Amino acid sequence: MAVFSLIIINKAGGLVYQREFQPGLRKLSTNDYLVLAGTFHGVHAITRSITPKLPLAAIPNPPITPTTATTPSPNIASPSSTSTPTPSSSSASAGGYTYPNPGVPATGLESLETDKFRLTCFQTLTGTKFLLFTEPTMANIDVVMKKIYELYADFVMKNPFYQLEMPVRCEAFDRNLQGWLRGRA
Amino acid sequence: MSSATKASRIGEELWKTRVDKVNAELVTLTYGTIVAQLCQDYDGNYHEVNKQLEKMGYNIGMRLIEDFLAKSNVGRCANFRETADMISKVGFRIFLNIAPTVTNWTSDNNQFSLIFDENPLADFVELPDDGRAQDELWFSNILCGVLRGALEMVQMQIEAHFVSDVLRGDDTTEMRVSLVRYIEDEMPPDEE
Amino acid sequence: MTQPARHAAMLSISNSGPNTMAGEKQQSTQHMHTQSQPSQGLRVPSNRKTIYDRHLNRSRSAELSRASFAFLFAEMVTYAQRRVTGIQDLERRLNEQGYPLGLRLLDLLYYRTMSSSTSSSLSSSSTSASPPNRPLRILPLLHLIHGPLWRLLFNRPADALEHSVSPETPNEYMITDNDPLVNTYISVPKEMSMLNCAAFVAGIIEGVCDGCGFEAKVTAHNQPTEMWPGRTIFLLRFGESVMEREKVLERAGVK
Repeated sequence: MAVFSLIIINKAGGLVYQREFQPGLRKLSTNDYLVLAGTFHGVHAITRSITPKLPLAAIPNPPITPTTATTPSPNIASPSSTSTPTPSSSSASAGGYTYPNPGVPATGLESLETDKFRLTCFQTLTGTKFLLFTEPTMANIDVVMKKIYELYADFVMKNPFYQLEMPVRCEAFDRNLQGWLRGRA
Repeated sequence: MSSATKASRIGEELWKTRVDKVNAELVTLTYGTIVAQLCQDYDGNYHEVNKQLEKMGYNIGMRLIEDFLAKSNVGRCANFRETADMISKVGFRIFLNIAPTVTNWTSDNNQFSLIFDENPLADFVELPDDGRAQDELWFSNILCGVLRGALEMVQMQIEAHFVSDVLRGDDTTEMRVSLVRYIEDEMPPDEE
Repeated sequence: MTQPARHAAMLSISNSGPNTMAGEKQQSTQHMHTQSQPSQGLRVPSNRKTIYDRHLNRSRSAELSRASFAFLFAEMVTYAQRRVTGIQDLERRLNEQGYPLGLRLLDLLYYRTMSSSTSSSLSSSSTSASPPNRPLRILPLLHLIHGPLWRLLFNRPADALEHSVSPETPNEYMITDNDPLVNTYISVPKEMSMLNCAAFVAGIIEGVCDGCGFEAKVTAHNQPTEMWPGRTIFLLRFGESVMEREKVLERAGVK
């Protein structure tokens, strides 16, 4: 089962990493990837914000917010000003609605599928997004995703030469990622 | 099952099965050398050393949170009490193999203390007998920064500081942690 | 011998047992000096949780997470980077951070090899300034580094130990680590390709050598192979005085 490629998008919607894992795979242009990252980031925010909400009265014990008067909508980091508007914040400040289970945050778009491929998005609680392009029938994508996140935590986050939110240029990350995916195939 | 018990189990299971280990003395001595270097670079100005340690911790925390999340696979906490248990029983367990006691909650559930029975960072340590270090230096201050950095990345602004330390001759080592606010919108980038 | 400044740098903060090392005059005189001054001394907790009340071997087999080490080390590198002018300067600084560790680990190594080889650890810890197993010649020193030191730090021995083949540099020795623990998660940017952060470990080795009375300069060099992309050679260059003493000791039949 093939993993085609991986994209990592930072909190602000910027593309910080892109790799293909199939030899000879047709590459998109850098610009296409940047647009893809930005667009996906925006659509992701929209899908999260259109999550149906219940009236606040229906929820017995909303979590505490000490210094703000608004209802704590458990938002993942909001997109930057460069991307789409965020209706979620306006509805939160109205104070009347909340998600069905306030402890469980609303996610955005998690997967997107065509006949030929599937795009799976995993957003970490810190707001970083991992986008994995695979064959549509591939199983256990969550296992692959989890491993990628661990490799990222090891070889990107523990590298003193990596600056947060910047493009990922870590040779050991590339090497270990390639190695693990190859070993799996 | 209480959230504390659940967190304990998660933490212990992770420590046993998912955490790569190194010799504890390597970590302890490396931390000691960092503090000693700061004391030298800042010419014995312990207030500045405390500040620098907190800053270093903050930088670490912003990165360490990803490791915490990747390893633990836990979701968002429902409230600050649950967060406290996560910090103590999962976070401290997987990074330092300890689980400081969570206690002294304020009635609004926004402030608690962590009491450290053990502190691997301070093994082998005796503060300089210069008449100042025991009053001014918070040897393990990096931990305050780690908490601040890590929680900021998951949308919680907190403040943490030590209120006592056995290295200073106190009977306990205690850190006070306060929730300032949940961060709802993008924070302006910190100048650190 | 060693530069006084380096010893002075390690005065503060920690204490890993009695100072029995050679070359520690600086420290002991200073220590006596502070003793003679009227000082109120350090406060201790009422339950006496101090380093003197804990067994030195308490943490001998204790483990911590590798991630914690990696984060601390990364922050050490980041901090050092802010204050340096170039790669060499950065390596020098990392070396200096490792050096005091070497001095201290030496004490710990002595203490432990003694207490495990003799039945009475009490008597051995109170013996004179030259413990029986202190290396007198270069080779036993190198074996101490290659074996016990590496095992204490990294839970395994180093991968190779070699002597320079060039007749012009008989004072050069090489210790190889195929995959240094300190570099596991580090990718050095292309424009800094000469840098090896294991300069920190080189500093530890240098501290051990100096502490034993073998003046040396130790540096870390990248020697990647296809199988071991992080392979590192630690080059030890012993000083002239050490080489001269080596000859004398050889004639005297000391091993």
